[in-house]
Amino acid sequence: MYSDLLHALPDVFAWTNFAAVVIGVIAGIVVGAMPGLSATMAISVLVPFTFGLEPLVALGLMAGIYNGAMYGGAIPAVLLRIPGTPAAVATTFDGYPMAQKGEGGFALQVAVVSSSIGGIASAFALMLLAPPLSKVTLLFGPSEVFWVAVFGLASIIFLLGGNPVKGLISACFGVFVSVIGSDPIYGNDRFTFGQLEMLDGINIVILLVGLYALPPVIDLLETPLKTDGVNSSKLGTQSLWKALPRMKSYWKTWLRGSLLGIWIGILPGAGGSMAAFMSYNEARRTSKHPETWGEGEPEGVAAAEVANNADTASALIPALTLGIPGTAVAAVMLGGLLVHGLQPGPMLFRDNPDVVFGFMWQFLFGAILLVLLGGSLATNSFARLLNLPRPLLGSVIIVLMLIGVYSIHGRMFDVYLMLGFGAIGWVMDRLKFPLPPVVLGLILGGFAEENLRLALRIGRGDPMVLFQNWTSLILVALTVAVVVGPTLKKRFIDSRKKA
Amino acid sequence: MKTSLTALALALTATAAFAEYPDKPVEVVVGYSAGGGTDVMARTVAQFLEQELGDGASVVVKNMPGAGGQIGFTEVSEAAPDGYTLGSFNLPAALALTKDRAADYDVDSFTYLANFVEDPNTITVAATSPFQTLDELIDAAEADPGAITLGLSSLGGNDHFAANMMQDASGAEFTLVPFKGASNARTAIMGGHVAAGTMTLGQTSNFPDELRVLAVLADERSPFRPDVPTAKELGYDVQMSSLRGIVAPAGLDDATTDRLRAALSAVNENPDFQEMMAEQGNPIAFMVGDEFAATSAKQDGIATQIWAETPWK
Repeated sequence: MYSDLLHALPDVFAWTNFAAVVIGVIAGIVVGAMPGLSATMAISVLVPFTFGLEPLVALGLMAGIYNGAMYGGAIPAVLLRIPGTPAAVATTFDGYPMAQKGEGGFALQVAVVSSSIGGIASAFALMLLAPPLSKVTLLFGPSEVFWVAVFGLASIIFLLGGNPVKGLISACFGVFVSVIGSDPIYGNDRFTFGQLEMLDGINIVILLVGLYALPPVIDLLETPLKTDGVNSSKLGTQSLWKALPRMKSYWKTWLRGSLLGIWIGILPGAGGSMAAFMSYNEARRTSKHPETWGEGEPEGVAAAEVANNADTASALIPALTLGIPGTAVAAVMLGGLLVHGLQPGPMLFRDNPDVVFGFMWQFLFGAILLVLLGGSLATNSFARLLNLPRPLLGSVIIVLMLIGVYSIHGRMFDVYLMLGFGAIGWVMDRLKFPLPPVVLGLILGGFAEENLRLALRIGRGDPMVLFQNWTSLILVALTVAVVVGPTLKKRFIDSRKKA
Repeated sequence: MKTSLTALALALTATAAFAEYPDKPVEVVVGYSAGGGTDVMARTVAQFLEQELGDGASVVVKNMPGAGGQIGFTEVSEAAPDGYTLGSFNLPAALALTKDRAADYDVDSFTYLANFVEDPNTITVAATSPFQTLDELIDAAEADPGAITLGLSSLGGNDHFAANMMQDASGAEFTLVPFKGASNARTAIMGGHVAAGTMTLGQTSNFPDELRVLAVLADERSPFRPDVPTAKELGYDVQMSSLRGIVAPAGLDDATTDRLRAALSAVNENPDFQEMMAEQGNPIAFMVGDEFAATSAKQDGIATQIWAETPWK
């Protein structure tokens, strides 16, 4: 197998194949940075065109876009508090406060370095460990995946913010949105009001764009004359070489985030946002100074960005070996492989080693190129956008949002839906309801429901099916530890203060 | 004599129609996302159909995913029957979903042009499974009704119908577990989370060392796996498969219908097309015109019957 890996390398350096990766990374960063345009969308637009391309050119473009977009999403997350992709939500927590403090440039550098490290770790996992890791995927049946979702949902308690009641209401709203559409087992319509467009549920991008992008844009337009606290002259940009030493202490966060991201990636369904949330939580939980988190802690940006890139290549492990994509992006990429007659499964590695292993190399080079291309692109061009007059900037973002949401399925219905979520988001923002629990609730609510119901069907209604093996029990124990741990710790500290 | 006259008449009408059709791009609506099995078939057919229609004709695939293909099927049924809107058609899925929910089309809403792919369902277990034959699996299901779980790609599709028909034919009772899509069901079988499944033969083909196909639910053994017995040979007269073809809206005029049917037949006879389909792992079962319409009507009957006897929602 490893000789196949080396054998595939020369093809990757054919100039067309390499250029595809470079173009892909740049396009990915641009797409990721635009609110409303996501990697999923960019790649699904690309798939039909790849019909006429050489496989490695097509796949190189996709690998580049995927890597680029996962970082690109961080740019507006840091500069405007608008996550460019669903996976960049956790990047806003500390990235935007950093930008307000005049450290936006450093935040972007942390983001690009962390993204690159996550991507490289993930590419190595894909190249070296795909067959054994696909065995890990097989361990996770419906009951185990249900517990993974519960474990992820448990991290909501860290995201509740100052007012837990409001946080829980937000989370419930997210779970409610996940219920809309046909139910995962029988296909009964739920809250669709007879609309065919609602049958497949609410696309995460529609909710995210409405909820996250519209309120900040309204803010931008409301105060057109006030000069912005953040502009590129105050970005605090310095050269990457000077910034790197400050990041030395993040190695633990990088390692943890990479492993978490790779693990989440090989499990079907949840993907980048869950990886970023979990990595952020774990890094904060183990931090020596958790009180600075959420106020502009660079390590928070590092934790989120390393994890949301670490699931990119690893999400392809179950996609290539089993045909089950780990993320929505991997799902469209699988389509790109099918177009070229590359059917997933163990035979793929035997029949088309040059293409498959070449694709893996392209992922690695995509991740490495990110540092070179991403750093300068972000600080030299995107950050300049902030110098635009605010009404212009706001209008540009609104147009991008409308185009992006319309192009998901090519229908106006989604645009109206997005505007509706925007109105809800604006009200929630004004009333200080936290938004992250909505996103997590939507992603994990449906995931948990589907797998719980499948598990119960397998167990013929007996809930004990959920506790039948070690994988499940370990996940239950972890969940309990995450939920109860901080409360116990707080009690302990409180009681010592009283004494 | 009669056939040669028909052929002559067909050739004449085809030449007559040739002058005006197609004078703008022909759209093939696919009810699934780009890159799926149906999409790849439609794109391959479109590419060769362009050549057959000749004269710079352009055939464009348009993806309209959503609601299990319903959005795309509805679009085709409601389009003008002028030969410029065609659609991919999946059986039994396209008609099964007219049973369990309100749909704006039915079996008569289409002009059936040609079917290209037929992929038979199977009874498949993991290679590590204790069940070596179909009889062993059915004996286990009879010994403890419901204890044997069957992973399906969804309810109301060919996997589900196959499982239902197998239950009827054998008298055994299975617990049906509908996953989201065939790959998830296959993974659950490989991971031992369900005992067996009814996925199509094409979906097993890339996992020869991981899966054991116990039976093919077809009239005859598959040329891809001549070693696997049919369920019929084993005493269970069950046939179910997934079909993919090309349709037009109902009411397409005869001249255009004949022209398209002739062009699609020519596509099928092109060795390059056959080679591309084989590369994609698509088993070709070409049916044109009335034969395709009859198959569709038969599938509609099966779906109606199963929905009446054991509604799945």
